[in-house]
Amino acid sequence: MPKILVIVPFALDESGVARRREQLQAVKLSPDSNFHFRPVKAGPTSFMSAHDWTLMDLAIFEAGASAQEEGFDAVCIDTMSDSGMAALRSVLDVPVVSPGKASMLFALTLGSKFSVLAQWQPAVARYRKAIPEYRLERHCASVRSFDTPPDFDSLLDGKQEKVFPKMLDICMKCVEEDGADVICLGSTTMHQAAEWLAKRLPVPLVNPGPLTYKLVESMLALGLTHSRGGYPKPLTPKLPMLHAMLDAAAQLESKKQKRLG
Amino acid sequence: MTAKVLVIVPFPMSDAERAHREAQLQAVRLAPDIDFQFRSVRAAPANYASEHDSVLADMSILDAGKDAQREGFSAVCIDTMSDSGLAALRSVLDIPVFGPGRASMLLALTLGDRFSILIMWDRWRHLYQKTIAELGFDWRCASIRSIGVAPNNRTLLAGKEDEVLPKLRAAAERCIEEDGAEVILLGSTTMHEAHAYLAQHLPVPVVNPGPLTYKLAEMALGLGVSHSRGAFPAPIVPRLAMVDTMVSAARDVERRS
Repeated sequence: MPKILVIVPFALDESGVARRREQLQAVKLSPDSNFHFRPVKAGPTSFMSAHDWTLMDLAIFEAGASAQEEGFDAVCIDTMSDSGMAALRSVLDVPVVSPGKASMLFALTLGSKFSVLAQWQPAVARYRKAIPEYRLERHCASVRSFDTPPDFDSLLDGKQEKVFPKMLDICMKCVEEDGADVICLGSTTMHQAAEWLAKRLPVPLVNPGPLTYKLVESMLALGLTHSRGGYPKPLTPKLPMLHAMLDAAAQLESKKQKRLG
Repeated sequence: MTAKVLVIVPFPMSDAERAHREAQLQAVRLAPDIDFQFRSVRAAPANYASEHDSVLADMSILDAGKDAQREGFSAVCIDTMSDSGLAALRSVLDIPVFGPGRASMLLALTLGDRFSILIMWDRWRHLYQKTIAELGFDWRCASIRSIGVAPNNRTLLAGKEDEVLPKLRAAAERCIEEDGAEVILLGSTTMHEAHAYLAQHLPVPVVNPGPLTYKLAEMALGLGVSHSRGAFPAPIVPRLAMVDTMVSAARDVERRS
């Protein structure tokens, strides 16, 4: 029975993690797979600048760095930014899957051009940076935002009636004006809108979190993992240092919480 | 008035070891009214040979430079071709921040149409591939050639000159003759001691990455420009106290071991 660790990129409480876990309902999975959701110990509270990306890389890296020792058979990272993925692949032999690059590549198995639906304008910069890095510019029809600030904890809860139609409207622009034949949701935090949108769109919609669960099952079933050519191991691993860093950050956060009462 | 520029050295080291880095200042004519101050990070990966190292490197360099503006520095240079920590520091500082990786590729293309990168060993290759991908410069990069000698990031080339210099020259000649390089980039600021020798013996320009960043800092200060907030937005919720706490914890672990 494969045990799969899903790393939640924010230090959320139980109800926040539960909202992330709901993504499991969106996809038919093997009854054998056992997905375990774990939030990072500490990290950024927003996600729109290189300051935030640097913190998140480290936080996700730490949350999964000992996964293999803990008996996990694979790791999924619950963020389209692919934060921490490369570092985790460098220290783990078990498959590490993240939805960013993977959902764009998957989209290209369904159509020849994809658009990315971003939450709001500040998030657009990250895709504009990532897509050329992945060398996928020629396959990307557009990146458009639906102009709604993200909430990484409550996600789209309570905002469905207002926000879903706005999302649909932007997706239709991607299809009709930009020529997208697949839409990629720009964040795993949009998963609550996936089913509603998919029913109304004339093209396929890729729901990134559930995609990673299927990918991980496929990797395990096929006996595949990442290449050491692309992700060489560190010569001098410093994992105790890494864990000490995040423990210190978590302690700082809990002191701050106590002060705030 | 003298402007202070902070140069971040990506490994903790002794003053004597850091002097090997500071010697880069001798390779370039600099304005007399700029004072370059070299500072080591407080904790670091042992080398820059994997993604495990890259993530730790970003954090350690962000930590070393995060207060530069408050401390009265007018600019920051990062002494590693990986450009580790560059984007994060730009997001939290308004003063100019330069790293030599991206900058030396851009400068090379003002001197010729194709460049090669000369490196000590293959474990560095990923550092350049990332920047080349970001810039979309694949077809501008003629080759990356390694001489297969493990680097020492503290003593640099000291004591190894007789072995290393001819190897570097031979590899650079192949970059030029076989791969079509019109400009050679040193793949690391730790190779600066080879620069004068290579520049003298090679028929194409050789970019010395560390000194280039000092001139870029000088240029930005002279022109009154800094990085774009469009490309490097400031964090909405800065967590610099957390960065400080984490790197202090890392330093303590290193001290104990």
